[in-house]
Amino acid sequence: MVVQRGDLACCVRCAGPGSAERLARRQLLKAAVHGGGPGRSPAGFPGVLTGTVVDTSPQVITIYGPDGERRIALPPGPVVWKGRAADPTALESGDSVVVRMHPGQRSVADRIWANVGRVTGLIVERDRESMLVDVGRTIRCQAVLIPPHAMGRLQVRFPRLEPGYLVDFIGLRGRGFLEALVPATSQPAYRASEAPAPAAVRGHAAVRIAGSAVWHEAAGPADTDGVRYPALDPETACPEQPLAAAGCPRLPYLSVGSLLEVRNECTGSARVLPVSGCAATAQIFCDRCVTCGTSPRGRVADLPMAGFVAMGGDLERGCFNATVSLGSRSPASPPPGSISPGSPSPGSLSPGPAPTGRA
Amino acid sequence: MTSPGLPATLWADLQDIQPPLIAGILIGGCLAKLGRVLRSGSVDAGLGPTQLFPLRLRRPLAMLMCAFEMSLGLALLVTVFPVGTRSGAALFAPRAATGTRVAAAAFFLVCVAALAELRGRRPDLGCGCFGDFSTQPTGWRSIARAALLTGAALISIESPALFLPPRNHGALLFLGVVCAELGLIAALSPEVSEALLRLGYTDPCELRQLPAGRTLAALRRSRQWRKHAQAITTELPIDMWRELCWRYVVYPCRLDGKNAEVVFAVQLKRRRPMVQTAVLPLVPDSPAAAPGHPVPAQGWGHQEAMQLSTGVYPRP
Repeated sequence: MVVQRGDLACCVRCAGPGSAERLARRQLLKAAVHGGGPGRSPAGFPGVLTGTVVDTSPQVITIYGPDGERRIALPPGPVVWKGRAADPTALESGDSVVVRMHPGQRSVADRIWANVGRVTGLIVERDRESMLVDVGRTIRCQAVLIPPHAMGRLQVRFPRLEPGYLVDFIGLRGRGFLEALVPATSQPAYRASEAPAPAAVRGHAAVRIAGSAVWHEAAGPADTDGVRYPALDPETACPEQPLAAAGCPRLPYLSVGSLLEVRNECTGSARVLPVSGCAATAQIFCDRCVTCGTSPRGRVADLPMAGFVAMGGDLERGCFNATVSLGSRSPASPPPGSISPGSPSPGSLSPGPAPTGRA
Repeated sequence: MTSPGLPATLWADLQDIQPPLIAGILIGGCLAKLGRVLRSGSVDAGLGPTQLFPLRLRRPLAMLMCAFEMSLGLALLVTVFPVGTRSGAALFAPRAATGTRVAAAAFFLVCVAALAELRGRRPDLGCGCFGDFSTQPTGWRSIARAALLTGAALISIESPALFLPPRNHGALLFLGVVCAELGLIAALSPEVSEALLRLGYTDPCELRQLPAGRTLAALRRSRQWRKHAQAITTELPIDMWRELCWRYVVYPCRLDGKNAEVVFAVQLKRRRPMVQTAVLPLVPDSPAAAPGHPVPAQGWGHQEAMQLSTGVYPRP
């Protein structure tokens, strides 16, 4: 049984090439059983280009991406982030970049992030200036290097760089390691295994849940178009969870392939995205995002880099205040014995404004 | 409570109730913090103004604050007792009582400043005043409550010894004053809603963990299952997933000589779950089951991580 193997049910990229069709069919089956349409289609991430720099000049760069080579005009000013804000001259051939295109001008860059990487997880081992971080059971442990000039800055918000504690660093991706430069949040004062109990939920869980959205480096093609969600059905025995932590906040259970509307509360940008896997470390961070005001506690979505940028997030900030919409609940508690095939399906997204991308 | 005028009586009652009330709040706060420590197994799992201090000071400060709250609360209670049992009897330790109440006023004044500072510098943190109940970000209510308790401690400095109020209309007035102050404190306490929430709590269906086996058992008892059982061609489902309050179970079936899939939506409810069903023609190249297994990747990178510091940044 698929669900007992814990592959398709838990992680798209773990499941192999046949999973996409099966997941797409889930929406059809669900719509058939409850009536109504299959819900909104996933929107993708237009307006964002990812690839490798093959040629640079002060005004134009050439990027090789999934759709081949593309020339991008560069605006003046420090639009590049490469460990710090920099001019376009900082870009070099071979740099791996994420480009947010200028809204309205498809060939002009708005912001560029070069070689950016992130490691979020549990410290497994620590050396003088490096550490090994567990970021989830199906992903390789990540090696993190802390350069001496960044140590002070990181330790202001991550004072305990010891095994058992959590880290969340943004930096430059090297060959097989991350050079940590920026703290993405503040370190929880407790060990990961001592995470506080989540708050109780009164009545039904909210259809719209506010918190923060973070980003991760996509682990494969299947991971680039979806969103990782922290609360997958525990019956799937999700292999991606690094810890058996209680979780923060308590989120309603979904499965891989479920559609989720993610809204950036700072920019108003929203996307409907399929759940692509378990956000392995999101539930053990009970932090808030202060990009625009103070978000409620907890991480509610973990986007791939392109998705985060497309929704108006800045990678060096690490998060944006977000709201996820899980679906209308009307069929969940019908009167006993009644069947309402015309009612909206539990997973279909509740009516709301159409997705409005930044680009 | 012997003053003739109503305002004077009210004022006297207000003074009388402050020491035990403040003591109750202090002891309650300490016990709630201890409960949080016991549940989490660590003093570090703290909230509140201690997070503003350097790491090495947080643990001793948290312990010191908890101990101080408990000591102050007990001292307020002990020193409010009279020498005799009659109304108007003097305090048995008037100087200690005054000192304790001044200390309480100073403590709450420091709390006001610390909470204001916490709100400015770490707006994401709860005040931690009552342990797990104080996880909401520190707001003006928490600060106003500390200010109110400062005032309460100040007006209690001259209050007499504690004794039972007389059994006449004065007792009702006294009770009314107590209730009014408790109501005011409750209105300024974000913890009250959290505490009420935890009373009689059960998980909503979206958060409830229900084994897949129970879902399948409920499905096989249902009328919808009996209706489609003859057409189903496999013993086990080819797909099963959950969304919110429903678990979906898919079986292959034969319908009018053609391949199809029957999907059951089973409500995640312990008793008499509702079951809905639909049959869809099977797409010819649809996978019956997804192949592949997750690849554990533990142990990778150990050597790399340990060698990086010397390889990239040579040690001085």
